[in-house]
Amino acid sequence: MKITEDIKISDNGFVFNSRTGDSFNLNPFALELMKNIEAEKSFDQIKAEVMEKYDIDDLSFEKDFYEFCALLKHHQIVLQDNPLDFK
Amino acid sequence: MTKITYEKPVISKITAGIPSKFGLPTRQKFIPDIDGIPVEMIMEEYGSPVFVLSEKTMRNTFAQAKQAFETRYPKVQFAWSYKTNYLDAVCSIFHDQGAWAEVVSAFEFQKALSLGVNGSNILFNGPEKSEEDLKLAIEHNACIHIDHFDELYLLIKVTRELDKKARVAIRINLDAGIYPIWDRFGFNYENGEAWNAINRIMLAEKLDLIGLHTHIGTYIMSANAYAVAASKLANLYMATHRKFDYWLKYIDLGGGFASKNTLKGAYMPGTETCPSFDEYAEAISNALISSEIPHENLPVLFLETGRALIDDAGYLLTTVLANKRSTTGRRTMVIDAGVNLLFTSFWYNLGVYPTRQLSSHLEESTIYGPLCMNIDVIRDAINFPQVKTGEKLVIERVGAYNMTQWMQFITFRPNVVMIDLERKMHIVRKKENLDTLTSLEQNPKR
Ligand SMILES: Cc1ncc(COP(=O)(O)O)c(C=O)c1O
Repeated sequence: MKITEDIKISDNGFVFNSRTGDSFNLNPFALELMKNIEAEKSFDQIKAEVMEKYDIDDLSFEKDFYEFCALLKHHQIVLQDNPLDFK
Repeated sequence: MTKITYEKPVISKITAGIPSKFGLPTRQKFIPDIDGIPVEMIMEEYGSPVFVLSEKTMRNTFAQAKQAFETRYPKVQFAWSYKTNYLDAVCSIFHDQGAWAEVVSAFEFQKALSLGVNGSNILFNGPEKSEEDLKLAIEHNACIHIDHFDELYLLIKVTRELDKKARVAIRINLDAGIYPIWDRFGFNYENGEAWNAINRIMLAEKLDLIGLHTHIGTYIMSANAYAVAASKLANLYMATHRKFDYWLKYIDLGGGFASKNTLKGAYMPGTETCPSFDEYAEAISNALISSEIPHENLPVLFLETGRALIDDAGYLLTTVLANKRSTTGRRTMVIDAGVNLLFTSFWYNLGVYPTRQLSSHLEESTIYGPLCMNIDVIRDAINFPQVKTGEKLVIERVGAYNMTQWMQFITFRPNVVMIDLERKMHIVRKKENLDTLTSLEQNPKR
């Protein structure tokens, strides 16, 4: 999963997509995840760090993470693979 | 090392130019308890979903309404509108506070009798009264509010056959300056039909005309509409006196006061826009007192207030079943209470609240009920915090019409619990089970 080049993320959680003109707000934890995604960490790596730091179980986090990723795709913040590729 | 409290990641699109409605505080309201009893505890005891009624709120609301009118007008009598909520426990509380019964079917009539209401304290409204129903009403000396000429002639025939007098009033429809005009019920004022009906009744030997009735509609946001209606009925009241040298006993202005719910499509919340009991009372009392009617002959003012007396006292407690994202990325949530239980969700943007302070980050969401039906939407758009499955929610102001217009559909209707003045909980209607439903069925042997 890769954040597109059109995306600018500020340190206070403001996101701007220069291709679509849309802007977004992130809550602090979403910002932290974005930074991790930007750093191209794998899901497992992110999960391990989150579980270490936060009071959350693995399944709840996994569910939230993928819901968040789906929204990033929906807002064209990360590149969408062809969903019918069934890779 | 203690861990940091987790909060779900949220991304929200900034939509410029659309300020949050009413600049409402972003602080989320929550309802932890009802009359001091924690919501969690009620649900543990009685399941989910569950309707809860507060006797305290019912009594307080009734007392406010009564005071608003009694401090402005000498003779006031409320009649509890059964169709609004005819659970025995609910009707009994209103009767205990002095309300008569306003019924619109033989079923409701019998319910009132079974609760010990004296037949002469029952107002029998509605277009559906069979010959048998009319006989029942005459036997019990009820006030029959005649809806149309066919009913009037049927009643003349029945009273002749029984050789008994009937106490009657007529339902009148009129232009009170509001839309829509409910002209499908009763006799019209403006075209003279109501006056014709009065004249015909005054000629009928066995009909005692004692009142004039109107019900201009429901959720009427204009107190002035009642003043217009009251003045028109006052004109007929005086005309009847002039022509027949006879004083009618009452003017009944029906129901229709708005509850504090917010109508769909309304820009401001109902709590801000609905007239108070005082405003309605002021308008009505002024209109009657400043009419031509001499003070010593002022009629008793009847009111059949329904929703405004009970909506606030009813809650529906529900549980979050699932969180989803629609194909447009919109947040949606499924709860275990559907439109089959919440008829008023077709009308109102019902208030849905968590029981505790959750994340302050709100996201526009759609709340679906659990039915496997596309129409099962409790709220199309509500700013709501993130919640996990199993979270308990409270839907407020559902005391009116839901517990009568609910549908048994797909699943059982839930428990209805009442919290009494001593904060004791009572089941006032049991959750249905398979037997409740199949006991009415018959399966032909093949
Ligand atoms: C004749 C009559 N009276 C009273 C009511 C109660 O109305 P509301 O709940 O709007 O006060 C109704 C409701 O439709 C009605 O038809």
